[in-house]
Amino acid sequence: MRALVIDDSRTMRRIVADILSGLGFDTSQASNGREALDLLDAGDAFDLACIDWNMPVMDGLEFVVAVRARREWRDLTLIMVTTEGERGQVVRALAAGAHEYVMKPFTPDALASKLALLGLLPFEESP
Amino acid sequence: MSMPGAIDAGQVAIIATEVFAAMIDREAGFLTTWSGGPLTVADPLYAWVDLSTVPASRLQLSTDAGTADEVTRAFLTMGRVEPVAEADVADALGEIANVLAGNVKALLPEHVEMTLPKVSWQSPSRDGARLNEVLLEWRGRPIIVSLGTI
Repeated sequence: MRALVIDDSRTMRRIVADILSGLGFDTSQASNGREALDLLDAGDAFDLACIDWNMPVMDGLEFVVAVRARREWRDLTLIMVTTEGERGQVVRALAAGAHEYVMKPFTPDALASKLALLGLLPFEESP
Repeated sequence: MSMPGAIDAGQVAIIATEVFAAMIDREAGFLTTWSGGPLTVADPLYAWVDLSTVPASRLQLSTDAGTADEVTRAFLTMGRVEPVAEADVADALGEIANVLAGNVKALLPEHVEMTLPKVSWQSPSRDGARLNEVLLEWRGRPIIVSLGTI
């Protein structure tokens, strides 16, 4: 499976990508929603996108809306990665088409649990 | 001294402790309240996020260069001899400030916006800023988390 990690913090991109790699994903990274859309437009196919909320250029919600407007990307699973303070806004992202969310700070197990719930991990690998 | 939404220093310390336990150390117990006397950080690096409270408020993290390097090394699970790039330090400290601010924001009764994190060796505090300091100790090293109106 392929995962796209979208975050303006390269620290967070690296951490999330490391977790996903450890779970067996091939990962790519983008530093904002616009860069991520460019990758998708270029034909890169992903099973999962982990999306930060607060980013310059194009934020996470705008990215979710843009992805859900395109039928060819309807199978892309979207997980918001946000801080606790954005919990209320996550509702907007879920309404726009995101599938799940994890709150920062989170542990690798917390992310793996979300992926397992979404059927993106074999259940025997879930914590 | 004031803190947005009457958030007290104890709540800020708890947030910082939880953030470090989950993101930096991957286990609890390494970030505690500073147990020494008066705390002075030499040549501090600042990372901060502003909140659109009324009046505006700021969550600020500051520490010395050596501690910033070690926090970054832990955050990125880097080896002991692997060099830490300055850009990685700035990014890591900014992200920690971002997560701290996001969790402070969650305690506020009203919806507020957060700026993207900024990091600088120059203090962002300005005349009129009233920041409350929470003195913390991470693996014996000083870290100050400040919150207040600007």
